[in-house]
Amino acid sequence: MRAQSTARRAAASLLLTCICAAALSACGSKQDAVSAPATKPFTVMLDWFPNADHASLYTAIAHGYFSTVGLDVHPVVPTESAEPLKLLAAGKVDMAISYEPQLLLARDEGLKLVSIGALVQRPLTSIIALPSAHVHKVSDLAGKRVGTAGIAYQATELHTALRVAGVNPSSVTESDVGFNLVPAMLSGKVAATLGGYWNYEAIQLQQMHKNPVVIPIDHAGVPTYNELVLVVRAEEARTDGVDLRAFLQALTRGEQQVRANPAAAAALIVKANPSAEEKLQLASIEATLPATLPSEHSNPYGWQEPAAWATFGHWMFTQGLIHSDPNSAGLPPFTNEFLPGQGI
Amino acid sequence: MPIQLKPRERRQQDTSGGSQAALTNAVGHAPAEQAVVLDGVSHAYTDRRGAPVHALADVSLRTARGSVLAVVGPSGCGKTTLLELICALQQPDAGILRCEPAVLMPQRDLLMPWLCALDNAALALRIAGLPRARARERGAALFDELGLGGFERARPHELSGGMRQRVAFVRTLLSGKPLLCLDEPFGALDAITRQEMQEWLTGALVREPRTVVLVTHDVEEAIVLADRVAVLAPRPGHVIAELSVDLPRPRTRTNPAVIALREQALRALNLGATEDGR
Amino acid sequence: MTPNDGPPRARVGQAITRRIARGLPAALLALALLGAWEAYVDIGSVSPIVLPAPHEVAAEIWNNAGLLSANLELTAQEVGLGVLLALLLGFMLGVLIHLSPLLRRAVYPLAVGSQAVPIALIGVLLVFWWGFGVLPKLFVIVLICFFPVVVTTVDGLASVDPDQLKLLRTLGASRWQALRFGELPAALPAALSGARIALAVGVIGAYIAETSTATSGPYAGLGHQINADINALQTPRAYAAAVVLFVFAIACFYTLALAERVLAPWANRPRGEIR
Repeated sequence: MRAQSTARRAAASLLLTCICAAALSACGSKQDAVSAPATKPFTVMLDWFPNADHASLYTAIAHGYFSTVGLDVHPVVPTESAEPLKLLAAGKVDMAISYEPQLLLARDEGLKLVSIGALVQRPLTSIIALPSAHVHKVSDLAGKRVGTAGIAYQATELHTALRVAGVNPSSVTESDVGFNLVPAMLSGKVAATLGGYWNYEAIQLQQMHKNPVVIPIDHAGVPTYNELVLVVRAEEARTDGVDLRAFLQALTRGEQQVRANPAAAAALIVKANPSAEEKLQLASIEATLPATLPSEHSNPYGWQEPAAWATFGHWMFTQGLIHSDPNSAGLPPFTNEFLPGQGI
Repeated sequence: MPIQLKPRERRQQDTSGGSQAALTNAVGHAPAEQAVVLDGVSHAYTDRRGAPVHALADVSLRTARGSVLAVVGPSGCGKTTLLELICALQQPDAGILRCEPAVLMPQRDLLMPWLCALDNAALALRIAGLPRARARERGAALFDELGLGGFERARPHELSGGMRQRVAFVRTLLSGKPLLCLDEPFGALDAITRQEMQEWLTGALVREPRTVVLVTHDVEEAIVLADRVAVLAPRPGHVIAELSVDLPRPRTRTNPAVIALREQALRALNLGATEDGR
Repeated sequence: MTPNDGPPRARVGQAITRRIARGLPAALLALALLGAWEAYVDIGSVSPIVLPAPHEVAAEIWNNAGLLSANLELTAQEVGLGVLLALLLGFMLGVLIHLSPLLRRAVYPLAVGSQAVPIALIGVLLVFWWGFGVLPKLFVIVLICFFPVVVTTVDGLASVDPDQLKLLRTLGASRWQALRFGELPAALPAALSGARIALAVGVIGAYIAETSTATSGPYAGLGHQINADINALQTPRAYAAAVVLFVFAIACFYTLALAERVLAPWANRPRGEIR
């Protein structure tokens, strides 16, 4: 009888020890290897899971370009698309990668944020359709069902594209499929989707030999804009200019390295995101490279074209997405002053 | 030797005219060997519907220290109320009640299923602050003495009804009170087990003498176990007969003297029944 | 019951056979479901992006053992610690609510409401407070899991035999002693059933936590991996992670049942023995 209770107590303490051990290991922080001692921590919240769009960032980190200029850069992954700007405004991260439309919306809400560089010069958002849907141009969407990612300004982009093509938007049924754009098309539940990227979902489908029809949104009548931008708080732009300039310098070197060796960059993406497929990431990096440099060769990597921003901001305003035209308000939503060779 | 804990105050009620009983902290003993003294005790309470129930009316009883008083009577004669008054769970509305410190052993054994028999028995000691090892030591000694050796680690669900009552009795003993109030301790057991338990209880009281007030519906049991038997009639509960049982222990049911006393008691009970026109 | 006749080796053999026999129905059902799944995918020619076949999922489990175990470790830590905290907090709150009717009136409705809080809303807030480590995830799990523990504890404490409490009082117990010796042990079986629920919900809680709070680093638990895999169209591997999560949940449940039998062996006895 005594053995029973001793056994019970032993089992109970073993259970407790296991739980405590698990707890301690969970609480222990994972230390990143720090190359140079005197670096300033700098958290960057990505727009989504690490992918090809972040190639220059991860390459610059891996090659130590950031630590050379005194920055210890940590990427973090959000859970939804509005999160990066929210946490940036709240002061929890130092920089957020977001979308030009999203930034303009945030500023319209009163958040004091500014974009200091563009990762991608053009929109990546596209209308994508499988051949079986018989959609080859925007006007073919009349009377069909389009899957969207549930993002308001993308719906507006779709309506603009439809109107430009002479289609009545109300003849098109929109279904919110979240981020399951490709499965929605594969299952035949939608004729086309809006919200997939020509450098991601389209390539996925191409690698599956599905030969999708891809219409980037700026080819469908929506004014061009920078799909991915680097955003910081306005006060940081005022006070931490040195760090921001250093960041962009290092990032530019990273971009050059990606051009030189895209395969290595793809491997880095997979290391950061084990779910990513290296073949897709490499194809995506190579497809995106032409869109990362501005068309005007004298402008540096990350250049934000003022005329394009003005036009797009005006478009958002006339579409009722924002309450005031960004061109009329005080400080502009973007600045090129920290890009290499600028603002000096 | 009876196990003593910290002495507790006794309650002394002296009322006339039914006013609220006054508590005193006097640490005096009941007169001489009288462990229990009831004089003209009356008590009523209101039932769930708000109607008054006269549980006891003018009850007078005495019992000497170390002796067993059995209280028999049909249901409704106030036996349980009597025990609760003796154990000071309630105060009588009228009359004098002076008793030694008492502990109540309820009808159901109420053993805690998560404790082994020994821990159940030693409960009062643990409540008093004794560390578990010490409490178990004392309990184990009593277990051995009373023939329960070997059952210390058994869980209540593993024990028979009779064993559980025995453990409950040891628990009652270990509470350290000199007066035990037993409320139909063997009521739920079958006849054969009941007889075993009566023999066991007799032996236990020889080893651990206490003053006992025993409530039972079994007249035979009362005569076998007690030194004095009080017969109560119901509505309101009052004493209609008191018998002295001056027989040597252990007593057998077949003993003519026992049978004779049993007849006496039954006659008194019937009398009580016809008295109330039942 | 156990046949006590026969040589010891035969008895052990009998015991093992009995264990296998007990697990057989579940195993057979699982195999039947897997068979139906495989047939549906092969015959119906469903795209693996939408529904992969069981053999593809099995291959992914085999090929990604390292990734899956790294993420499982993280998720297991979250579940273990989070559910443990939920049990402690839930139990304490249950006891306090039982002791204080005022507290019950103040806290109970809010506790009920807490179950309806959309985690997606508070995810950002949690990261804002506690950063990108494990703390926001623990909070989410605790939020999701503590309520069943509170409810079962309160109910368990209220269902204690009042006669037993009276007995303790007659033996001289104070209010605290009555709680310690009478109410808490009596309420333990109910609290443990609440714990079972909390653990079952905890695994889902970990998934929700991982997909609603921002993370840093390549490994962020099975839930996060499922999301990332879905996003990368690695559906078979997402299913693989889901299968691992499924098995993990079952293992947790039965571990707790074992712990229960060790800590509260009286809990499964039938109440009201024949006297």
